[in-house]
Amino acid sequence: MKAALFSLVPYVGPAGQGMWPVPVADYSTETAERSMQLSLEQFELADQVGFDWVTVAEHHYAPMSLTPNPMVMAGALTQRVKRAKISLLGADIPILNPLRVAEEFAMLDTLTGGRVVAGMLRGTTNEYVTYGVNPSESRERFEEAMDLIVRAWTEPQPFGWQGRYYEYRAISIWPRPVQQPHPPIYISGSSPESGELAARKHLRLGFAFTTVPLASTASRYFRDRANAEGWDPEPDDILYRVAIHVAETDEQAMEDLAAGAGTRRAAFATSNRALDDAAANAGYYGRDAENQRARLRVLDLDTRIEQGQLLAGSPDRVLGQLKWIRDEMRAGIVDLIFAPVGREKALHAIELFGTRVLPRMREL
Amino acid sequence: MKAEAAVPSGSPGEGFEERQVEADGFRIRYQECGSGEPLICLHGAGGLRTSRAHDLLAQHYRVIAFEAPGFGQSPVNNRSATIQDLASTMASAIANLGIERYNLMGTSFGGRLALWLAIQHQERVKSLVLISPAAIRAESQDAGAPAPAQADLLVAHPERQPPRPPADPAILAKQSALVQRLGGPSRAAVEDAMTTLDVPVLVLFGTSDRVIPPEMGRVYREKLSRCNFILVYDAGHAMDIDRPEAVASVVGDFLERGEGFIVKRESSLIHP
Repeated sequence: MKAALFSLVPYVGPAGQGMWPVPVADYSTETAERSMQLSLEQFELADQVGFDWVTVAEHHYAPMSLTPNPMVMAGALTQRVKRAKISLLGADIPILNPLRVAEEFAMLDTLTGGRVVAGMLRGTTNEYVTYGVNPSESRERFEEAMDLIVRAWTEPQPFGWQGRYYEYRAISIWPRPVQQPHPPIYISGSSPESGELAARKHLRLGFAFTTVPLASTASRYFRDRANAEGWDPEPDDILYRVAIHVAETDEQAMEDLAAGAGTRRAAFATSNRALDDAAANAGYYGRDAENQRARLRVLDLDTRIEQGQLLAGSPDRVLGQLKWIRDEMRAGIVDLIFAPVGREKALHAIELFGTRVLPRMREL
Repeated sequence: MKAEAAVPSGSPGEGFEERQVEADGFRIRYQECGSGEPLICLHGAGGLRTSRAHDLLAQHYRVIAFEAPGFGQSPVNNRSATIQDLASTMASAIANLGIERYNLMGTSFGGRLALWLAIQHQERVKSLVLISPAAIRAESQDAGAPAPAQADLLVAHPERQPPRPPADPAILAKQSALVQRLGGPSRAAVEDAMTTLDVPVLVLFGTSDRVIPPEMGRVYREKLSRCNFILVYDAGHAMDIDRPEAVASVVGDFLERGEGFIVKRESSLIHP
């Protein structure tokens, strides 16, 4: 079993909570600079103590994340993270230019000698407001863009694209990815439509903003669909994103978490009900809409632990919780977001994890 | 050229008129619609079938869709020995219509035919469009032209097509035999001949083509000196059936503007 360290690169200062998009009120450039350095520190430490990957993601217009463009942050990481893979989970494909995405992943793969993981996501509903894209077109744009990106990575002669949503006449990207035929692609697996798509196109699956029971059901569905298509997913094909805090003892861990609880922010789309309703009415959530919206609700600390949204405790307890994730959904990779318990405690948690949990994870 | 006008109502090809012309001792059937620059269309191994794409192109071009001798209800063709022979016959048919210079479009087997016609009569061909062309055989295919594929294999979305009466098995067999029989040069010789073609070429392949892998387009791009290779997304071998508007749009734009069509000219202004 493998571990990635994920950071949203949050703005670690007082900022408006509530409705998205969040106004830049009381903004401090020093705080933003320090926020980025804190995350870079986490990424570098993770690389040093043996994490398999470091992960960045794409979120816009809120203090929860200072990486609206994960490619830029990944570019910085190519020079500071020397061994771990650099993973983007992900680029929000339907709101971006697919050729630009293809070029950027190829640049990152070339800068790292083939260490990139290409996550491709649809993005939460608010992201469609970000760049003015119609959320009802989300899935169609996503599928077409993904096909185009793979072609741009692999087609040796210049070619054009006569799509439904994208039309280009002459494409020949430089550089090309180092990994052949291209970097591994992960998509979000929570909806049944995604499970079907991943099975059909032989893609890998990631779960985030969900619970272990829900992800396990989705994982099983994905594996069934993959079998019907004639292939068997391996552990590396399934990733589970989860929050974590590790301390010397279980009690210490819970104490640290309670102290840091006030800094947690609501998930993006749910902090603007009108937005999310409009996107839902446009068909964004697909045929399993109720569950897909429900899983984004924010839960209390104990429920989060019980449902597998947060791993908390001593190294031993956390290892037990990882084994549960491995057994329930056959995930081979956990994408860990270290809880905001203060700089020192978070760094200590990363170090504890790397030295006392990681080595034992290899047997899972 | 974007298809600004509404798609013509009625069934595909309804506006086309039935005509005939003599060439090389054959009586050759064709369907014609529209006015303007001539666009000669050569069909695939399954025979002549006009689609919505032809209707759309007929809004801006004089579309002439031939039925090659030996296809459809025409008598068995035992005289054309090679693909070049048949191409020469079609060139004569076009000349006998009084058309001296034309755009040429060929689909699948018709793409193979059109390519040879263009190579043999470059001075007459203004531009060449090859749709899912079968001019070059992949190493994996057997010697001889690809056998006409099952109807369901031809389109990406058979579930979206209205039901059609089954084709006459005798006609299918006759057409298949002709396609198999028509000899041609080796792949190396075809590729050599392609390097001599100095006519703008548009090559289209559907990303869901299950008869000829769309990757074949890159060979045309590589061997032809003036070639644009474009993938049509979510279209199968019969792309004019799957995505007629997309096909008509890119073909029309290429016919109108030639190689300059790579420069976008549609306005992106939202409001003045």
